[in-house]
Amino acid sequence: MMYILEKKKLNKILSTWAQEHEVFVPQKVEEYSQFLPYTEDSELALKSPHNTRYPPKALFLPQSEVMLKFNNRTQKYEEVNTTPKSRLVFGVRPCDAKAFRLLDTVFDAEDYADPYWKAKRDATILIGIGCEVPPSTCFCTTVGGGPFNQDGLDAILTELEGSYLVQILTEKAETLFASLSPATIEQEKQVEAIQTKAHDSMSPAFETDGLKQKLDQIFESSYWDKISESCLGCGICTFLCPTCFCFDIVDEVQRKERVRNWDTCMFRIYSQEASGHNPRPTRRERTRQRLMHKYSYWLDHIDEIGCTGCGRCVRYCPVGLDIRAMLRTANTHESEAVHA
Amino acid sequence: MSELIAKLKSEIKRLFDEDVVDVVIAFKKADSPLRPQPAFYRKGDSLEDLEYNSLCQNNLANYLTRYPHETRIGIVVRGCESRSVNALVVEKQHPRENLFKIGIPCQGIVDLRKIVKQTGEDVSGYKEDQEKISVVFKNKEYQFDRKDVLHDSCLRCVHPNPVNPDVLLGDPLPEGDPGVLRQAVESFEALTKQERYTWFQQEAERCIRCYACREACPMCYCTECFVDHNPPRWTESTISPAGTQAWHIIRAFHQTGRCTSCGACERACPMDIKMTYLTDKLNEDMLNQYDFAPGMDDTTQPPFASFNLDDKNRFVA
Amino acid sequence: MHNNGHNPYKPTPMHIVRAYYESNDRSLKTLELVFDHQADRDEFFEAYNPGQFCQLSIFGKGEAPFGVASAAWEGDFVRFTIQKMGSFTQYAHQLQAGDAIGMRGPLGNGFPLEDWKGKNLVIIGGGCAFSTLYALTKHVHHPQNRPDFDQLVVIYGARTSGLCMYKHDIQSWYQRDDMEIHQAIDVPEEDWSHHVGYVPDVVKNVAPSPENAVAVVCGPPIMTKYTLPVLVELGFAPDTIFTSLEKRMKCGIGKCGRCNIGSKYICKDGPVFSLAELQELPDDI
Repeated sequence: MMYILEKKKLNKILSTWAQEHEVFVPQKVEEYSQFLPYTEDSELALKSPHNTRYPPKALFLPQSEVMLKFNNRTQKYEEVNTTPKSRLVFGVRPCDAKAFRLLDTVFDAEDYADPYWKAKRDATILIGIGCEVPPSTCFCTTVGGGPFNQDGLDAILTELEGSYLVQILTEKAETLFASLSPATIEQEKQVEAIQTKAHDSMSPAFETDGLKQKLDQIFESSYWDKISESCLGCGICTFLCPTCFCFDIVDEVQRKERVRNWDTCMFRIYSQEASGHNPRPTRRERTRQRLMHKYSYWLDHIDEIGCTGCGRCVRYCPVGLDIRAMLRTANTHESEAVHA
Repeated sequence: MSELIAKLKSEIKRLFDEDVVDVVIAFKKADSPLRPQPAFYRKGDSLEDLEYNSLCQNNLANYLTRYPHETRIGIVVRGCESRSVNALVVEKQHPRENLFKIGIPCQGIVDLRKIVKQTGEDVSGYKEDQEKISVVFKNKEYQFDRKDVLHDSCLRCVHPNPVNPDVLLGDPLPEGDPGVLRQAVESFEALTKQERYTWFQQEAERCIRCYACREACPMCYCTECFVDHNPPRWTESTISPAGTQAWHIIRAFHQTGRCTSCGACERACPMDIKMTYLTDKLNEDMLNQYDFAPGMDDTTQPPFASFNLDDKNRFVA
Repeated sequence: MHNNGHNPYKPTPMHIVRAYYESNDRSLKTLELVFDHQADRDEFFEAYNPGQFCQLSIFGKGEAPFGVASAAWEGDFVRFTIQKMGSFTQYAHQLQAGDAIGMRGPLGNGFPLEDWKGKNLVIIGGGCAFSTLYALTKHVHHPQNRPDFDQLVVIYGARTSGLCMYKHDIQSWYQRDDMEIHQAIDVPEEDWSHHVGYVPDVVKNVAPSPENAVAVVCGPPIMTKYTLPVLVELGFAPDTIFTSLEKRMKCGIGKCGRCNIGSKYICKDGPVFSLAELQELPDDI
């Protein structure tokens, strides 16, 4: 089913939803954007050609999340309420939505489900908005996605003159838009053209065929020294990444809380062991872990690349490192003799 | 620029030909014309992709501490970088005799964020001359006055010329007015105590603890940063007011008399957090109290790192 | 193990029932824990398999992983031997009988005992990593389990006699006619009548037969590194040699990413791997 949402009615519909759900929309903070709770005064940042700088994964895996509250004297603890009220996230980009689905394979796995992640996921409706003019830093189509990819979304919007066309993708979203007028055949055709054009405007950023095998082959090679030479070892690429999910668990004694915090394989202390041994002692091994995880180990697990081409790591790397260039170099790197 | 790049290439070639250095730290072109990257050249490497322009965002002195002291390093330095290198030499992070500083008088680093704010994020082409910066956005050229798009730290730069370079490429520029250095401090000081705290909170509490500010800073070279220490843990590692404020305060204090006001921390920050108003204030105190400015030579210890018998402090006597 | 809708990050409330030093330098301390709730006890022993580990949890200090050092039949307690290393273990060493502590587990795969049925077992351990092998040996000793396995050879090395763990019990193993025990220390000491030398050399001397046998090696990385080739040389095939990996871990259930090596998470897919499996993994250990 497809509906037409007039732009001038957007605030009204968001307000209506906000009565029943906690609604999150992309909003401007300083010069960047972030999903924040919607209020009547919220200024929506939907215009940007790309996704929010601060990733919406934080809505499900907050950068810091209290897991348990404790009393360190008695060693007793309480669980915190993991079930939020019904939530609706409006304006999610397809790359970020796909990432939620990928992360479900980690946090909602068959053996162990993560109750904190799962409760928030189950309580959330995701309304996406496609990218009409994908910027040059994006590469979703290279990694199996697309600027109007529906994967992980409950509905997706395409921008038209003065309105959005809404494609309903799941039952969850059906009733949300039911009061709107349906789209005409002409509008549907128009949208199809927009989506195709956007998709076709993105040329492949690197070859993914055989990339995993190539990376596995050059695990010991000098390639990693080269590509990590200018890396600062900060956490930007991984913290802003929609598919990076590593976390640390710490006890904040003063607040008597066991908290999980985003962590990153790019930090030295991430892999530092109590004995003094560090299996990933330099930026070479840490950069390798980041790339290998996304482009090799994810494939071992679910046969999908663990990167959705959102472009954040490319846009915000302080030394201009570009994962696409790194992977192109990997593809052309001559396999070296592996020294024992 | 192309003339300067040609000079730079021939100087680097000479350094390798005459066996003066083992590695040269400079900038190179990347896929995006807007994002030149730090580059590391060794003898025999092609210098074809060498780049230098006002988009070179990083403080190359940051990479000095990655090399063993025996490595003979050639490094491209602008004003602030030359002072960072000096400060590192003073702190014995690399011996002066194994450094060759290729100095370039600096017209300031262009802040891309100021440009994209007016055009849009997906800028493609880039050109610059003395006065003007121009970029292409959606096939349209936008032109800016250089001073309108320079990074805030660069607008406040007092010493654009490299201090004691081994070679200077290009003509020296006039020194800046020391008064401009006060600008960030002044506007902060003009606030009431409560306003200052609110401002500090708003900045610090956006922090995501990615430590890009630390990693981009040449002076943050500790093997183990205080935030990574355990046990005891000195600060919360959680994104809490206590954790993020502690990080920003202590980071700034550790820079007292060491920060060269290059602004690399603010340029690296993914959350647009202002930091130099704190370090500039601390540096101003160093200048007023101890008549010391970091990096102006490569022998004078920062006041907080040196002890003399005639120190005024009572606890010493 | 599945979390069946439980929050897997919730520690099971436990109390320490016995706490004693294992080594004369007080670097090794054993804690024996009992369950506060019968249901937790039942659930634990239902799932537990030697070779598994638990996250011990001390609120205010955090969590750290330790291999279980007891067999299920030994009683209603869970034993851990803890080497003083970092901040958590220093604090754990101060705990005494009666103190409360949390535990998450059992975690990980444990030893593939089903596959080992009918085989000769060669158990090789060094240092405090021997704790899970002690649990394995105790498991095999039980009259009900003993017929599942053929010959049993245990080789256990420590730096000094003072660092030998579970002394009294192991002393009694010399009297058993259903096993061989070889203990070793690094340098000669007075009154030491057993082997002297490093574990790989002792293995070479003892030369256990690879015939219908599996070997399991747990010890410090350097010991494991030099013992594996000795076993290969003795004729053990890579899929008959097993070891347990140690890595920094946080969640213990394959979420936090920390113990990832190649396609595996040590906490969830391990910690026990065959040499054949390890050879498939990238050298990132």
